[in-house]
Amino acid sequence: MNILESMFDTVISEPHGSLALIFLIGVVFGGIIQYTRVDKFEKIAGFAMLKDTIVPKMLFLTVGITSIGLYFMVEAGWANWHIKPVMLMGLIVGGILFGASMAIFGKCPGTGPVSVAEGRIDVLVGAIGGLFGGLVFTLYFDDFFKPLMGSNMGKITLPELFAGHEQLVVLIFGITVTLISILIPKREFFDEADLSQLPDEARPDRK
Amino acid sequence: MINRLPWWMGGILLSGLLLLTFSVYGADRPLGASTYVPYMAGLIFDLDPEKYSYLKSIKFAGAWEGVLLIGAFVGGFITSVFITKSFRFSIIPTGWKKYKNNSVLSRLIWSFISGFMMIIGARLAGGCTSGHFMSGMSQLAISSMIFGTVVMLALVVTGRLFYNAKETES
Repeated sequence: MNILESMFDTVISEPHGSLALIFLIGVVFGGIIQYTRVDKFEKIAGFAMLKDTIVPKMLFLTVGITSIGLYFMVEAGWANWHIKPVMLMGLIVGGILFGASMAIFGKCPGTGPVSVAEGRIDVLVGAIGGLFGGLVFTLYFDDFFKPLMGSNMGKITLPELFAGHEQLVVLIFGITVTLISILIPKREFFDEADLSQLPDEARPDRK
Repeated sequence: MINRLPWWMGGILLSGLLLLTFSVYGADRPLGASTYVPYMAGLIFDLDPEKYSYLKSIKFAGAWEGVLLIGAFVGGFITSVFITKSFRFSIIPTGWKKYKNNSVLSRLIWSFISGFMMIIGARLAGGCTSGHFMSGMSQLAISSMIFGTVVMLALVVTGRLFYNAKETES
């Protein structure tokens, strides 16, 4: 319980939403992920095998809509930018490790807890592996991981590279990414174990 | 009640949630989901945050995401029990049985290894599917576009090499 208490105290001490709001954002986040079934091995590893495209379709649509909405929210003073810096080696080495793990695990750090909540024991074991990963990263951060990440090349964004045309760049980006999400051919890899729970007429694979 | 939401509905709802999280009336920060892991590791293994520079730097983000993920756990549990009715205890995913093997030991060992590598990778890059791909690309950040491209490539290449997906093509 001590662990939760220190976590809650830290969150309460900072002005980034009340404990209740953050928890609620989490509930909705987990609910959307679970209800769309993108936490499933068959969706994420299925995408790695190119047998399912629901995950990229949903991700690209989310980015497309959010990019346009967020830009105008920042313009209106309703939000701020929180850009992550370019650290080239960290991004490339990290991206390779992350992508390869995602294909094998069939989960990512956000969908993992949702899968555990659904009763997936293998994902719980993977989460314990993740905790050890976090431990190793913390222990060897200064000596090994930080130098590996490379120098900080700054918080660069795409519109910055086209000074004077920021709005246009955001609009083109948002619309293009949204179109990509629609144009990616829809392929689905269903899990028989889930489908067998449903009555025949409700099965999405029988339409 | 339909047993699952279509992808476009999921995308629209997630955008709304991201915008709320970003907004000054919400949390005024991006939605991320990988910093909580080293944060939890620090608490569980009882590391002194004053001694480890990394723990010090992630103290707030880690706690924030910790609360978020407790919420996600609760949300996922509720929908899996009451809506999708997919709650059940299982060890080997159907897709793993079909395209990899039937061994519990193999699945658990690979889960542990990939969970371990995944967190090292996410922390090296400074984000994951949520923090980089969704929150970062929505801000048109170059860092997130590089990460997204590398992840997609590594994902598909690994999927091709790791599974026997071709032989059992139906």
